[in-house]
Amino acid sequence: MGLKFAGDKCIGCKLCQLACSAAGEGVFNPLLARLFVSSYYEGPELKVQGRVCTLCGTCVETCPTNAITFAEGQLSFIPENCDVCGMCIAVCPEQVITPRENGVALCNLCGGSPWCIKWCPHEALVLEEVS
Amino acid sequence: MHSYQGRVLRVNLGENNAQAEPLNMDWAAQYLGGKGLGIKYLYEEVPAGTDPLSERNKLILMTGPFTGTVVPCSGKLAIISRSPATGTILDCSIGGHFAGELKFAGYDAVILEGKAAKPAYLYIEDDEARLLDAGELWGLGAHRAEDVLREKHGPEAKALVIGPAGENLVPMACISSEYYRQAGRGGIGAVMGSKNLKAVVIKGAKGLRVTNAERLLERLQEIMHQDTLTEDNLWAYTDGTPMIVELSQTTGILPTHNFQDGNFPGFESINADAIREARVGKRACVSCALGCGNFTRRGASVVEGPEYETLALCGSNCGIADLEAIIAFNKACDDLGLDTISVGNVTALAMEMAEKGIHDFGLRFGDIQSYLEVPGKIAVREGIGADLALGAKGLARRYGGEDMAMQVKGLEFPGYEPRGSWSMGLAYATSDRGACHMRAWPVANEAYGDLDPFTSEGKAQLVVELQHYNAVKFSTILCDFWALSLDTLAEILTLVTGKTFSTTDLEKIGERTVNIARLFNVREGFTAKDDTLPERVFKDALKTGPTAGRLLPRAEYDKMLKEYYILRGWQEDGKPTQEKMQELGL
Repeated sequence: MGLKFAGDKCIGCKLCQLACSAAGEGVFNPLLARLFVSSYYEGPELKVQGRVCTLCGTCVETCPTNAITFAEGQLSFIPENCDVCGMCIAVCPEQVITPRENGVALCNLCGGSPWCIKWCPHEALVLEEVS
Repeated sequence: MHSYQGRVLRVNLGENNAQAEPLNMDWAAQYLGGKGLGIKYLYEEVPAGTDPLSERNKLILMTGPFTGTVVPCSGKLAIISRSPATGTILDCSIGGHFAGELKFAGYDAVILEGKAAKPAYLYIEDDEARLLDAGELWGLGAHRAEDVLREKHGPEAKALVIGPAGENLVPMACISSEYYRQAGRGGIGAVMGSKNLKAVVIKGAKGLRVTNAERLLERLQEIMHQDTLTEDNLWAYTDGTPMIVELSQTTGILPTHNFQDGNFPGFESINADAIREARVGKRACVSCALGCGNFTRRGASVVEGPEYETLALCGSNCGIADLEAIIAFNKACDDLGLDTISVGNVTALAMEMAEKGIHDFGLRFGDIQSYLEVPGKIAVREGIGADLALGAKGLARRYGGEDMAMQVKGLEFPGYEPRGSWSMGLAYATSDRGACHMRAWPVANEAYGDLDPFTSEGKAQLVVELQHYNAVKFSTILCDFWALSLDTLAEILTLVTGKTFSTTDLEKIGERTVNIARLFNVREGFTAKDDTLPERVFKDALKTGPTAGRLLPRAEYDKMLKEYYILRGWQEDGKPTQEKMQELGL
């Protein structure tokens, strides 16, 4: 099961990002979240964007030191294997892997019960089967 | 207390100097944040008699302990100053995402002092604060100015911006953010313009560290699902404020033709059904689970809105039943940086002045073409705009018709007819910033609720309690659309700050806030004689619909006001007694 973002239901409240950063880092900071949503006006249009980990596996395949693994439906980051090369950040197509002091932060689906989904008030974020 | 950053950014615009200083935590314990704490700072720092448009006035941007957290509906920012429209204390609240970003940059508040030597904007990125040249932005609409700032500083930058109305010191100028969110009332945008300040732009990367994040997330998530996303609150998501049009129409309090009536035959063109048909998107402030914003499109016109107040003041009150025209009017006001409540109200007054033969501004009830030209003229004070920019009180003072200038202390009435909801009249008259629906909204209990709208019995008590409740909510800061109990609010505040708050503590903070606002106004010379309503309310009966024949008898109003002062512990002249001040630690 992976995260799925439905832009037509997103109101841009960022509760998902705030909950994610608080759960993962003990701080409310949207920049430290493992997902990104945005809703903004541009001229006569309302734009909605969302980026979530789709479990595409590119980071696992790219990591040269096996610091990112995929097992039992979830990604894991192994800090002691990481040499902070930044390649996973560069290749992530959703740009949801972010740097930390001695490694990176990535979405591990909160162990199977993601806070972002629990906090999304209008089901713009759901879990769905991924291949 | 947790959940504060403990820092204030003090910026002297004249000296191009920005310094961080500690937040006064003793005051924070007494006033929490937002409205209350902002008023306390202003009361202590701006001396009596300060011209609101002089460089000695200050503009305070204040967050609260909930700002930046996942507490639902906590995305608002309070902006506090002395009002150029009324001369009273002025606190506005603005939605969007600026408030959270300010907290993430590491500040609870920004205090803006002095006046920039030339048009400038303030750029804040965490510990860096710089005054930058706004020469190319000056004169631009708020929307274009915000576009330019986003292009320059990145899409994640959040901005407070004024339009031409603020630059031209129009006393109904607002501050805008993200196009369609406004700190609307009392000319707060003119204060910013008087400081040569076009915008404040902020980016924050620090975040807000909290203790026991998991416990916060667990309990607040329960509260969100059990107490926020419920039938009592979800009207804000499904329809938003336009649902009030129907309520006001059916209870006879929908302002019509400059408050000559409370019943608008064209209401079905501007009600929630009409807005739903025009809706193309929904948008929320940061941390808001409700998401009241309706992005609407009719023909070539788009806006986030119109909200109820705009539909009432710029729609029925001007005799306009054409939703496309109202959307265009709303969009123009937002871009020019004008408060739709005051603009709609003064436009309707000018229409009635022509009808009554007092003065002809070329405006007529229901005439769309002349109506659509009004915002542009007011913003640059051109032609009739120079007169209408005086506001309802000033316009009537110049040309006559003061009895039908629907304002209190110089602030124009919002969208609730007090002759059909008597306690709303008391709420307007005793509100700290003039006629306002956000200091207390007793129509919910009265015209829209179970209480008899046409009696003074128990209404003073109702208004007092609601004023305390709203003062606390706007100090934490919570949006007024979440109808939570004070017990729940006390629980959340205790959870977030780590300091125990009881319901009684919150009632006391609410009362303290109302009283310090009152002391500010007393210091500026306001007395009981200013706590009144336009003559029309007392002597002209409404004409049609469920409130036909109704007025608010002056004797009944006087009775409510007298009772209100007694309940408040205020003297007959409207000043708080020494005993009351001591009791509240003032």
